[in-house]
Amino acid sequence: MRSAGDAPESVGEQTLNFRAIRDDDDPDRVADEPEAVRRADPSSDPEAEPAGDFFAFARPASHDRPRVGDTEDDLDDPDTLDPEPAFETLEPTSAEPSDDFAPFGRSDDTFRPFGQPAPARDSFTPYRAAEPPVDNFTPFRSSGLRPPADAAPSPAPPADAGSSPAPSAEAGSSPAPSAHEEPSPEVADVPWATSGVRGGEAGDPAAVVDFEVIDADTDDGEGDDLEDLAHDAEPGIGEPASVETGSLEPDGTETDGTGADGTGTDSAEPDGAETDGTGTDSAEPDGSVIEGTRGTTTDGSAPHGATADGSEADAELEGVTADDPETDTGLVGAREVDAGLDGATADDPETGGEVEGAGGGGESGDAVTGEPAVPGQLVEVDLPDAAAQALTAALDALKEAVADLRFGLDLPGSEEARQAQEEILTQLRDYVLPRVRVSAAPALIVIAGSTGAGKSTLVNTLAEKNVSRTGVRRPTTGIPVLACHPDDRGWFAGSDLLGGLERIERQSREAAPDSLVLVTTERLPQGVALLDTPDIDSVVEEHHEIARRMLDAADLWVFVTTASRYADAPAWNLLRLAKERAARIAIVLSRVQPKTRDVVVKHFVRMLTEYGLGEVERFVIEESAVADGRLPDGEMTELRMWLAELSVDEERRAQAVQETLNGVLNSFRTRVPALARYLEGQVAFRGELRTDVDAAYSGALAHIESAVRGGTLLRGEVRARWQDFAGSGDLTRSFQLRKKRRPVPPERITAFRAALRTALESLITSAAHQAADEVAARWRRRSELAAGLDRPSDDLARRTGRAVAAWQEYVTELLSTDGVTKRSLSKVVSLDTESLSLLFMVGLFSADELPQKLLKGLLGAEALRSISAKALSDLRARIVMLFDEEAMRYVRALDAAGIPDEAAATRLYQATYNLEVAR
Amino acid sequence: MSIYSVTKPGLGARLAALSKVVELGQGRLEAKLLDDASQLLTRAGERLKLSSDHTVVALAGGTGSGKSSLFNAISGLELSPTGVRRPTTARTHACVWGLEGAGPLLDWLQIQWRHRFARASALDKGESQLHGLVLLDLPDHDSIRALTDPEADRLIGLADMVVWVLDPQKYADASTHRRYVAELAGHDAVTVFALNQSDKLSTEEVAELVIDLNDLLRREGVSQPSVVPTSAVTGRGIDSLKGVIADAVSKRRAAIQRLDADVDRVERRLEQAMPVGAALAAPSSVDAARRVGLTDALCDAVGVPAVGEAMESVYASRSASWISWPFARMASAMSGDPLKSLRLGDLREEIRSLADCAVTAQSAEVDNAVQALSDGLTVGMNEVWRSSVHHAARSRAGQLPQALSDELSEVAPRLDRVPLWWRLLKVWQYLLVLAFVAGLAWVGFALVFGVFGAGRVPDSLALFGDAATLPWVGLMTASLLGLGALSAVASRNFVALGAASERDRLEREMRRRVGAVAESMVVEPVERELTRHHEFYTAMKALSG
Repeated sequence: MRSAGDAPESVGEQTLNFRAIRDDDDPDRVADEPEAVRRADPSSDPEAEPAGDFFAFARPASHDRPRVGDTEDDLDDPDTLDPEPAFETLEPTSAEPSDDFAPFGRSDDTFRPFGQPAPARDSFTPYRAAEPPVDNFTPFRSSGLRPPADAAPSPAPPADAGSSPAPSAEAGSSPAPSAHEEPSPEVADVPWATSGVRGGEAGDPAAVVDFEVIDADTDDGEGDDLEDLAHDAEPGIGEPASVETGSLEPDGTETDGTGADGTGTDSAEPDGAETDGTGTDSAEPDGSVIEGTRGTTTDGSAPHGATADGSEADAELEGVTADDPETDTGLVGAREVDAGLDGATADDPETGGEVEGAGGGGESGDAVTGEPAVPGQLVEVDLPDAAAQALTAALDALKEAVADLRFGLDLPGSEEARQAQEEILTQLRDYVLPRVRVSAAPALIVIAGSTGAGKSTLVNTLAEKNVSRTGVRRPTTGIPVLACHPDDRGWFAGSDLLGGLERIERQSREAAPDSLVLVTTERLPQGVALLDTPDIDSVVEEHHEIARRMLDAADLWVFVTTASRYADAPAWNLLRLAKERAARIAIVLSRVQPKTRDVVVKHFVRMLTEYGLGEVERFVIEESAVADGRLPDGEMTELRMWLAELSVDEERRAQAVQETLNGVLNSFRTRVPALARYLEGQVAFRGELRTDVDAAYSGALAHIESAVRGGTLLRGEVRARWQDFAGSGDLTRSFQLRKKRRPVPPERITAFRAALRTALESLITSAAHQAADEVAARWRRRSELAAGLDRPSDDLARRTGRAVAAWQEYVTELLSTDGVTKRSLSKVVSLDTESLSLLFMVGLFSADELPQKLLKGLLGAEALRSISAKALSDLRARIVMLFDEEAMRYVRALDAAGIPDEAAATRLYQATYNLEVAR
Repeated sequence: MSIYSVTKPGLGARLAALSKVVELGQGRLEAKLLDDASQLLTRAGERLKLSSDHTVVALAGGTGSGKSSLFNAISGLELSPTGVRRPTTARTHACVWGLEGAGPLLDWLQIQWRHRFARASALDKGESQLHGLVLLDLPDHDSIRALTDPEADRLIGLADMVVWVLDPQKYADASTHRRYVAELAGHDAVTVFALNQSDKLSTEEVAELVIDLNDLLRREGVSQPSVVPTSAVTGRGIDSLKGVIADAVSKRRAAIQRLDADVDRVERRLEQAMPVGAALAAPSSVDAARRVGLTDALCDAVGVPAVGEAMESVYASRSASWISWPFARMASAMSGDPLKSLRLGDLREEIRSLADCAVTAQSAEVDNAVQALSDGLTVGMNEVWRSSVHHAARSRAGQLPQALSDELSEVAPRLDRVPLWWRLLKVWQYLLVLAFVAGLAWVGFALVFGVFGAGRVPDSLALFGDAATLPWVGLMTASLLGLGALSAVASRNFVALGAASERDRLEREMRRRVGAVAESMVVEPVERELTRHHEFYTAMKALSG
């Protein structure tokens, strides 16, 4: 019947209704959003200050930083082109400390502290040349250039002030200034400004004595004094620092230096000042140590501070000067300066916090200058409040975003995703949050390794106390044991670190799996705690979980393996993980037979090198009789020394701690988005499943429509009844002239009507069957959810019957409405509405001409068309309603499995981004 | 199949059942499971063809637990290099006691020539009980090298007997227990655990470990673990290990026990995937009641009863123009044609010709009928089988409506058919009409000439003009009218009767044909599937013995 086609609007409406259940738009939208966020990430980083803030935070030296910067590098690269040569010029100068000094002062103060100690410098130069930070470094300058350029006039004059002293200072070193000028002649003043700032921080460690002088200098705004001071400072610092570092451990200083570089470079990109901050930091300890040895030399560095102040004066003079005295606050100061210099939109809390930090820093600075002289004493240096708050808030947000994730659908990988989620949560709770709050807490050294490798024996021997049970049974240790110095006990007993674990006093078989044995021993040095963990490879799989959890909370990993185990696959999996996390790691190879020691160690080292772990600290323990759960003390000397060094050298410890923390924070960059991607996958998958349902049911609907229009409905019994109806003369009889009407036998009418209804019903039911079948088949390929849904619902037949009967009623009603029949006929012919409605339905479903002609004759083409359209759209609506209910069963099944929150992925990306910003 | 017959009847029958299960389970069982099962069948076939005089014993274990040392200790020769570097052994070494017939076996195990060693039996007078032993020193399965090398994995799967070499450090490693020991639970008879390097521990510690290991193994489903503490260095326990091996070798049963245990394992997995349960109670054929039900449903889809009814009423309606009393017809014709008054008079013939159309089947109803059949048959069946029965039932459902239509069109009644007796009756009716007219003429004639004497009646027509005949003729004429009406009524009854019997005949014929179509297009494929289902579960039952 053409009439159906004549009513496109109504059909369209129905289609809309039908689609309303669909939410295929949703997955799309969700998919878009994260993208947008992702896109936003890098783009916003370089231009906006958030990046700056993030770096400002990065005061602890970290090699990982550069990676953060990588994204921005690309963007900054063009700018960095010219500064690069400038950097190179630095290298040659670094050969001679005194000469270098001047160029450093001018171009990059960051280097100053390193430049001073001669031995450190030597190692430093090659390092720079070789390492990626070189690249990173350049952007620093360029970006350093930018902000002041914006701020234009104000920073410029001080820059000049800074620059004028520089040449004079370099008077002794003629090559330097020239070299320095090459890189950025046009913007010359700008770098100066920044460098000045840096110098200020570099000078931070300087004693307060000089401070007045500095003030004076700043007032003058003249370079001469500064230069003098600078000169004083350099040689002074150079000597003691070199002595110190040389004696303690050259590596350490190097690392500091490099670390500073690294940070410097990174932070350099967004705003140079931070770099300085970090530089200062790394310088601090040296400075403080130096203080212990020689007060005067330290003072020497003050002048830099003065210069810095001079340059900064315009931006934020007071703040900086206030900061100068103490090292710690140098950070904050640096940040302030950044903010000031950049003219950047530093976040409110931060700027506010900086001021506070500056104040607080003053105090802590005192503390530092006072205490560090006493070796081995714990220095609890909290992060500046605001920064810590920002980072903690970001981490909290991340934690919530991760905790909110629900992976309802059983997709391949959902188990892994759930596990990853659990791991991230645990790590945030157990380790990252507590560690960020108090960064200088004792370092937690986690002893991990295979079952039977001798972890407990190692801990016992180091603690010189049987803190952890040893034995021949494997696996031996089920509950982690934490051994620390009595003074550190408070921290481990009360803190949030591994907060989810119940602290118990001793090992026992009854202990709950979620517990941690906490023992103290005087024999362990302060500031380091040993954590004996369960194995990573025994039959007891819960142990692997616990061990992983402990490692997630570790500041340092000590990995124990044995001569017979060092090729085991689980061990290498763990090492790979440590590498991925950039965790600080030391490896202990125990149970080595003395006679085979060389062969084994050589082989092991080769394997390590192949794995890229050749540089890791290694200890070899020979197999020897274990007495009372301990090894002979002689085997432990090296390890014990190492621990003692960690204990004494807070700087090194803090750095190790920070490295691991940064590694973990960095790992969030990939781990969290991986979760988000998985979640997106879930959302998309749900969308697909949903689409399957919709596709199946719209297919069913289309099938019904084509059957209705194509005349296939008018088959079988319906056809026979129609023949019966027409051929028996009932049809003609129903048109009988008004007066002599003879009623059509009711049973035939009823039978015909019933046949029509049955045909429609079975058409709908069979379509629903097929749709259900199709959905089930499609789902079964991908998910378990299809179980029990491969059949239409039980009451479908009943509901279909009702719907079709109601439709027939509706059609009869339509036709019995006044005015339907041609007026000219109504006088002559009396129509039996029952028969007419049957004829109408046949006309609707039949492809034949006859009923159409008859109906046209009876109703008129116009009326016929409109009634047909109404009837068809009503039928469609009813079927759609039926199918909607059918489709709802699948939606409910999906919902019951858990709906992935579509916004959660976005929140994850946002949280990751915020975390980066907060760093 | 012949190779199975030579072995223990139990194993042969079970392998035959397994191959049946694999054959019938194709596409119905998880591909991995089928794969494993067919691999087992192949392996069993190959192993049973090869020397049954030899017993392949593999020394397996983690790296560094002393497999090679133990190998050397048992063979008494330094055949396999030992070392301190991990992993040491990368290729499997084999040592054969009694070489004859072992060649193909070693080929099958894919042991390289240069790693094959033989103990000439003449040399080992004291070791005659080991005659027939093929001892393998496997590479480790847990080092980073093993991640890319499935050698150990492969041979652990092939060996008749596996000696797990454990050491005090690694005896509880997940890589050994989770991947192999727990998996191979049930292989007790062909699995031995050697706790090597026992020289590193004190006697008490060894005892403690043995107890601990026993507990651990029991927890993993090894019901009777045989644990032998050994030390390749001191030679302690080597003899008892040799004893255990010699026992197995001399019995020559390890290969079969191993295969039996493997079949057990596959069977457990099969049972898990498709539990036999009450599956055998499911119908293996379509019973009569269901066939009738299906035929009924298909008849409804074709509309057989309606066709019959239509035929009846169409006959009744059409016969009216032949057999009804012409005067009655005239009377009704005079009442006017509604179609004409609707100016649709030309449709009358079309409406009449409607009745000539062929019988067709309603495809949706056909689908539902088929669906209902398979639903009824598959109650309680495994999901996979259920859907395969459904699939079989619907395999030709697409062609079914057309097939039904074609088949039934042959017997469909010709509604426009006019029986001869209708024509005769019509003649008779018109004869009556003629007679009636003649009677009327007679009566008129008699009235005109006889009664009113309007003229002289010729002699030949005297009879007609006789007024005395008038009552009789009048009576006869009137009765002719009655006779006509009467014959119309009577013949209508005859038409009805005839139509009813025709309908009966027609319905029977249609039902028969529908039944035949259903049999060939629905029931047969379904029954094939049901038979397959039944055979599968019978084989499953045979498999589990």
